[in-house]
Amino acid sequence: MGYFAESFAELYNADGWIDMGMFIGGAGSSAAGWWTVIATVMLLGVLVKGNSDEQDHYK
Amino acid sequence: MEDQILALTADLAAVKSAAQVTNTMFAEMYYYVTIPLMVLIHAGFLLYEMGATRVKNVLSSGVKNLLAFAFTIAAWYLFGWWFYWALPTWPLDLAAGAGYMEISGIGYANAIALPWGDSAQYMGPNMADNASGVFWGAFALFAATTASIASGALIERIQTVGFVICAIVLGTAAWGIAAAWGWHADGWLVTEFGYHDFGAAGLVHAVAGFFALGVLLNLGPRVGKFNADGSANHLAGHNMPLTVTGLMLIIVGFFGFLMACIILPGEGWSWYADKGTTIYGTPMTLSALAFNVPLAAAGGIIGAWVVTRDPFWMMSGCLAGIISVASGLDIYFGSTVIAVSMLAGMILKPCADWLEGLGIDDAVGCVTVHGTIGLFGVMMLGILGSGIPGLGAFAPDDTVAISIWGQFVGSIVMFLLGFVPGYVVSWIVGKAGMLRIPDSVQERGLDAVKVPARAYPEGMASPESES
Repeated sequence: MGYFAESFAELYNADGWIDMGMFIGGAGSSAAGWWTVIATVMLLGVLVKGNSDEQDHYK
Repeated sequence: MEDQILALTADLAAVKSAAQVTNTMFAEMYYYVTIPLMVLIHAGFLLYEMGATRVKNVLSSGVKNLLAFAFTIAAWYLFGWWFYWALPTWPLDLAAGAGYMEISGIGYANAIALPWGDSAQYMGPNMADNASGVFWGAFALFAATTASIASGALIERIQTVGFVICAIVLGTAAWGIAAAWGWHADGWLVTEFGYHDFGAAGLVHAVAGFFALGVLLNLGPRVGKFNADGSANHLAGHNMPLTVTGLMLIIVGFFGFLMACIILPGEGWSWYADKGTTIYGTPMTLSALAFNVPLAAAGGIIGAWVVTRDPFWMMSGCLAGIISVASGLDIYFGSTVIAVSMLAGMILKPCADWLEGLGIDDAVGCVTVHGTIGLFGVMMLGILGSGIPGLGAFAPDDTVAISIWGQFVGSIVMFLLGFVPGYVVSWIVGKAGMLRIPDSVQERGLDAVKVPARAYPEGMASPESES
């Protein structure tokens, strides 16, 4: 999913530390943004569903 | 000879490199440790609020507290961190451009604080960046702490999701903006007014306390708190030992909170190669906190004991003592701290009684401990610390110093940054029917209605609860 090196050995054998992110989700690609969209939608969904359930309790 | 010089030069370079690695790893470890220490603040809030709640509502208070922590941290990642870096010069600069230090403004925030695009490299694991994660983590806990402060005032009658929305607004927007303006070397309160608030008496505590007040005005009191003639009833929590222990845990966490307010030396992001500083770049040591935080805690306890003899207010006084000197913990002399914090402990309960006399049901004294005492602390520094430089030696020559006027302006701003968002967001949430739990449910008990567990399944049943 966008990891930019084949192995850690490849990273460590490069000239010094690689100056970019190592996160799963893809450094320098659009994947990071899509993961952020997914996380945001999930959080909003939880709030909407949570509120719906909570209102049911008060009826 | 030449070979020896070359060898020595190589050795020196290796030693320097090793020293820098040690310094970098120490700095990373230093801020990392502040994060679990600040989690103790939340452990404390959890115990404190559940102890201050009646048996029939204990777990509901716990759920509310846990969700405030969780959602605020997530929201801080998604947009709160961006607020902090983007808005120090706004609205003086309506375009929110970079300040003098060039570590602020929308362009800067877009480059380092957005979880997408190129900026994402600073928002996750990165072998070339030992700083962004630990700073973000510490600030996320600052945000969660701010949101959780307001939580206690609202127990036993605020809806869960409605409260979470309020907590997100407080922990990310209200606090993020307050920190940008008053806790950043480019913040306009700092550069234009010399506002100094090292330990966040105003920009965490007053903002949270008065945010809670804004919510309380829309939320109303718990059922049974006030009688028809306006007199108040004491709705005792079910477990005072839990509450008092929770307060002590909050104090433990404060040590982590405050040590995270220091900028260590010797890194690319440091103000100096060889001096620790405040976030404003003014010099300070960790030893200043080692003197002043315990003294402030002691002064607050003693001051509250003189007036109340009540362990709840003594531990609230402990918090108030630290908050009362938080703005100047970096520069106060120890005996000054004792005097100011004792005074804060003494005025605490009378101020809380005054608020209750106005018909406001602040279940744990949050508005007074954090709001009133927070502003008291900001103003005390103006009175006692006027003339001290507001920024470090790197700042422009015309930088203003700490002053009564600057601290007064800061106090007004922090009051408004708390109260206005608190009132507005809770009004909107209330109009959506998501703020106040119906009175019939309050009377029955929240845990019986909406929590699939019992706090004390083998005992401690409430005479008021159907459960």
